[in-house]
Amino acid sequence: MTNALETVAVGKRYGRRWALNDCTLSVPAGRVVGLVGPNGAGKTTLLHLAVGLLQPSAGSVEVLGERPGSGPEALARMGFLAQDSPAYARLTVAQHLQMGAWLNPRWDGEFAAQRVADLGLDTKQRAGTLSGGQRAQLALTLAVAKRPELLLLDEPVASLDPLARREFLQTLMEVVAAHGVTVVLSSHLITDLERVCDYLVVLDNGQVALTGDVEDLLASHHLLTGPRRDSDAMPSGMTVVEESHVERQSTMLVRADGPILDPTWTVTPVTLDDLVLAYMRQARDSSTASRRSLAVAQ
Amino acid sequence: MIEFHLDPGSGVATYLQLVQQVRQALRLGLLEPGDRLPTAQQVVAALAINPNTVLKAYRDLEREGLVRARPGLGTFVVGTLPRTDPTAQAKFRRSMASWLRTARDAGLGQDEIEAIYRTAMRDAFERGDEGVA
Amino acid sequence: MTRFAWLQSRSQNLLAAAILAALAVLAAITGVHLSHLYNSLVAHCPRNQDCQLASEQFTAHYTFLQNSFTLIPRLVPALLGIFWGAPLFARELESGTFRLAWTQSVSRSRWLLTKLAIGALATVLAAGLLTIIITWWSSDLERVDSSRYGLFDARNLVPVGYAVLAFALGALAGVVIRRTVPAMASSLAVFIFVRIAVQQWVRPHLMPTKTLTASLLGGKEFGFFSNNGGPVDLVARADGPRNSWVLSTHILNASGHTTTAAERTAFVHKYCAAIATPPPPGGPNSRAVRIADPSTIESCRNHAAQTFHLLVTYQPANHYWPLQLLETGLFTALALVAMAGCYWWVTRRAV
Repeated sequence: MTNALETVAVGKRYGRRWALNDCTLSVPAGRVVGLVGPNGAGKTTLLHLAVGLLQPSAGSVEVLGERPGSGPEALARMGFLAQDSPAYARLTVAQHLQMGAWLNPRWDGEFAAQRVADLGLDTKQRAGTLSGGQRAQLALTLAVAKRPELLLLDEPVASLDPLARREFLQTLMEVVAAHGVTVVLSSHLITDLERVCDYLVVLDNGQVALTGDVEDLLASHHLLTGPRRDSDAMPSGMTVVEESHVERQSTMLVRADGPILDPTWTVTPVTLDDLVLAYMRQARDSSTASRRSLAVAQ
Repeated sequence: MIEFHLDPGSGVATYLQLVQQVRQALRLGLLEPGDRLPTAQQVVAALAINPNTVLKAYRDLEREGLVRARPGLGTFVVGTLPRTDPTAQAKFRRSMASWLRTARDAGLGQDEIEAIYRTAMRDAFERGDEGVA
Repeated sequence: MTRFAWLQSRSQNLLAAAILAALAVLAAITGVHLSHLYNSLVAHCPRNQDCQLASEQFTAHYTFLQNSFTLIPRLVPALLGIFWGAPLFARELESGTFRLAWTQSVSRSRWLLTKLAIGALATVLAAGLLTIIITWWSSDLERVDSSRYGLFDARNLVPVGYAVLAFALGALAGVVIRRTVPAMASSLAVFIFVRIAVQQWVRPHLMPTKTLTASLLGGKEFGFFSNNGGPVDLVARADGPRNSWVLSTHILNASGHTTTAAERTAFVHKYCAAIATPPPPGGPNSRAVRIADPSTIESCRNHAAQTFHLLVTYQPANHYWPLQLLETGLFTALALVAMAGCYWWVTRRAV
């Protein structure tokens, strides 16, 4: 099956600053992918590259096997929800649906009308007077009624209150269950995405810190606490992601292929949140270290 | 019909929680053979979780012989679980009490015993008895 | 996309249509009345001698509308173009709705070209109707008035050309600057510059000019003039043929060369001694000087008329329509260049 999103060493530069640098990703189809990272990590840039709003400065991007935005057919296969759900303030809800019907060959008008009715939106209301949650739901309806194979959502729940947030995710998951779309949604809070994502991409500072299947990641990472020891003494097949030591105790976050057999370790599972943070810290440390070694070498 | 709920802080995987809730419902007689489980679409519309999680739970239940998926119709309960038997429970409670006495005599405190218990539970139910520390 | 572009501009188009309809009604009522006045007052006047009086009587009607209909076609088409052109893309870029539009199943170039086409069409129709209404209304008045070129930029075709260029400049500014109000301001500034530049430097030369020579005595003005107590100069102007546009008048000497001010002052000193000394500036006679003996001036003028003559450069009446077409064509061509700029900017540059 073609990967939903495939990038090879992709980069995007604004002036002297690289918003994305050397990112290589292979995101499988049929998943709900969480794109996580702090503000400024490059999530929006990556999504804009994937929908053809931006062109890469380096490397390549392929979406569903095609170059993004390479024509109306490619555009029809994906649906996009931009940050803050932009809508035409002076057009009504009904007119937005009309736009969808005019501009998309595979438009499912019945679904859109049904969805709008289920959401309780007034079709004659101008989009400028809708609440943030309602606008997000309208934008989601527009993106889904295109019948895309891939949905890309840029921080869709960031500015929503908890109820609107829950309702949005309920709608989104219903769509995934009913139509099998691949979804990529970004957030700077992993807690927003924990419930729904089964694949994870972590970006920090324009680079990929971690990618993988959520279940695999949680199963293969462990938090080990035990008597003080060196990380070099760890058996092979085990990678130390993060370690900290006090006088007589060591704590390590490890990635292991098999079970932990050493009985002196107390093994606790890692939450997705801690995992993401640990990898982000590791990514930052290694980039600072390489910058420092560059400075020393000079 | 059963209504699922999710406890995100419990540390138990979501799909496992669904499986456990079906089993519990069977044990308590809330679900009987012939009943239809909610569709994945219905479950995720209520809980906002990934549909694959629901499908995985249903697949596990099918493997255990408790449910069967009929294409186009839904997933139906086909098996039963023994209702909770008070006598069997009492036997297990007695053997546990004796183990606890031994552990306390060996000097283990309550927190330590709880930690051992939790690790053993996790290994037994998540990984099927491999890798017991 | 066509229907959507129309939907997006629907309310502004309907507003313009409503205003034009009201204007049409007003113009129809007053214009028909004007037409009757023309027929009764002026149409038969060459037979009797009070043509001048009849014309003046006629043109005294509806002066407020006359003034308005001089100003409106000079201002409104350009403002219309700017107000419709600048927000066309700037508002989408400003508000982020372009991220919604460019991820529908329409290519970016089709989106851009359709919006430009619908907007340009609406601009042409609105400006065109406005100009037609006003031109029709003032057609009888212009038959009486011989300075048809005086309202060149307020009648017939050119206001439509102005509107289209203003629209295209607005759209281009919107695409580059990405914010509506700065786009309006900057495109208006550029438009004004182009308008003035064409009027001053290009329009007179769009068609070859004609010349005629005239005697100083037969001209519109002939006199002597001193600028703030400076040397006295000869001044003369002449009319071109009826309904022509006089571009310049030069005083030539007998050998056919343009005279310099020094040459003319020397002539005045030599042959018009009585007035060779200018009055002091700011003094009691500084505006007009009374000469005691008119006959001295008479001989001076006759002598001047024998020594010098006038050369009038003008665009004749029959160049009016070609000039209209050429100027409209020029503005339309510039508008097309601006629109091509929009296309290139949006489709080639990574946003």
